[in-house]
Order: sequence, then structure tokens, then C-alpha cells
Amino acid sequence: MTKDTRNKRMQNRPSGFANPWFQLGFGVVCVLVYELLQKRGASETANLSQVWSWTGITALVSPLVWLAMALMIISLLSWLYVLRYIPLSIAFPLSRVVDALIPLSCWLILGENISSRRWCGIALVVIGLTLTAKPVAQLEEKL
Amino acid sequence: MSWPVFFLIPIALTAFVTGQLFLKHAMESSAARGFRDSQVILFLVCGVFAMTIHFFVTLGLLGHLDLSYVYPFQGLSVIIISLAAAVVLKEKLTARLTIGTLLISAGIVLVSMS
Repeated sequence: MTKDTRNKRMQNRPSGFANPWFQLGFGVVCVLVYELLQKRGASETANLSQVWSWTGITALVSPLVWLAMALMIISLLSWLYVLRYIPLSIAFPLSRVVDALIPLSCWLILGENISSRRWCGIALVVIGLTLTAKPVAQLEEKL
Repeated sequence: MSWPVFFLIPIALTAFVTGQLFLKHAMESSAARGFRDSQVILFLVCGVFAMTIHFFVTLGLLGHLDLSYVYPFQGLSVIIISLAAAVVLKEKLTARLTIGTLLISAGIVLVSMS
């Protein structure tokens, strides 16, 4: 796709709930929740079968995994919508804000400790996101 | 590292990156051709199939390993997807975007391993 076509599509992008940037944030929240549900469900069902548990199929007996899959489908639909408007090389790194949000939400909501190494990691993710998002902000200003 | 992990982590990573490229290509094509085009449908099906493989392989890995062991490999996917988007999809990868991507990847690895 040419740069002109992409810019034109960004100019005609929908607003409100259908805004691709809003959908990117909405998808991140869905991923945040389903990652936690997926881990919990997989851990609870890991000992059901020595052989089949490596395939992930035994995890299907957990309702948490089904809930995770529902959220995964919602986040996938939201992600497909985002991909229609935003380049993959910008959208994907930005979507990884979830990697800073998971430990931060555990710290804020669950009161878990964060080691100094993990704080450094969160700082690196935030700096990386700022660098990645800057061209986006400039693009938005032009439009 | 046991043999399933040695094979399953690269399989999960490859399935994820391939799936993302298929989905992006499908959505780019859908803007011009619509969703009834056979090529768009084929790319969407391939993308969803690859993401499904990634989902089940990751579930299998998470059942046996700590999240802190499996998750750093997600950091690699940021770098690989950005490079693949530049090479396969011809997206422009600026120096700023490259540095940002590398920092995010390093950050994910640090967050996951501590």
C-alpha cells in the first residue's frame, strides 16, 4: 500500500469507539485480562494428562480458559480493525504497552512488590513506546 | 531445557509472527477488494490458523513452565515483527522506530525475567 493511500485512510478514519487508536487501547485491556486468565486456567489443568497437557488441549476443561478465549476473539477483532488503519511496525510495538501494564496493575491493585530490575524493564518499555509513538503524534498533527 | 520446550518455543514464535503478517496483509487487501474476495479470505484463514497454533502451543508451555520463563520470548516477537513488516510488507522502518522497538523488547525481557 502506498504512503498516500495510507495517509488518505488515516484522514478518513472513524471517530469515537470506532477510532483505530481507541481500538488499540481497548484491545490492550482485553489482552491484559486474558493473559492473566490464560495462565491461571493452564496452571490449574496442567496435571490432568502427562502427554496431552503439552498441547494445551487439557486446559479446555477450565472455564477461565474459555473466558480467556472469548476475550482473545474480541481483542483479535479489535486488532484486525487496527491493522486496517495503522502500520504493523507501529501498531505492534505500541500494543506491547501491556507488558508494562501487567506488573504495574499487579503492584497497584494486588499490592505485589516490583523488583528494581523489573522497574528498569518497565522504564525501558515506556521509553521505547515514547520513541515509537512520536512519529504517530507528528502524523496526527499533520492530519 | 527439555525437548518439547526446545521445539515448542520456536514453533509458537514462528506461528505468531506468520499469523500477524497474514492478518495485516488481509486487512490491507480488504480495504481495496472487500471481504468477499477469495484472496482476502485465504489470508484471513491462514492468519487465524497460525494464531490458533500459537494459542494452543503457548497454553501447553504455560501449563509446565513459569510465565516468567515463557514470556521473555514475546519480547523477541516485537523485533521480528517489525523487521518482517519492513521486509515483507514494505513498511518504512525509521531509526527512531528501530531504537524504540529494541528498547521495548529489552524492557519486556527485563520485566519478565525478574
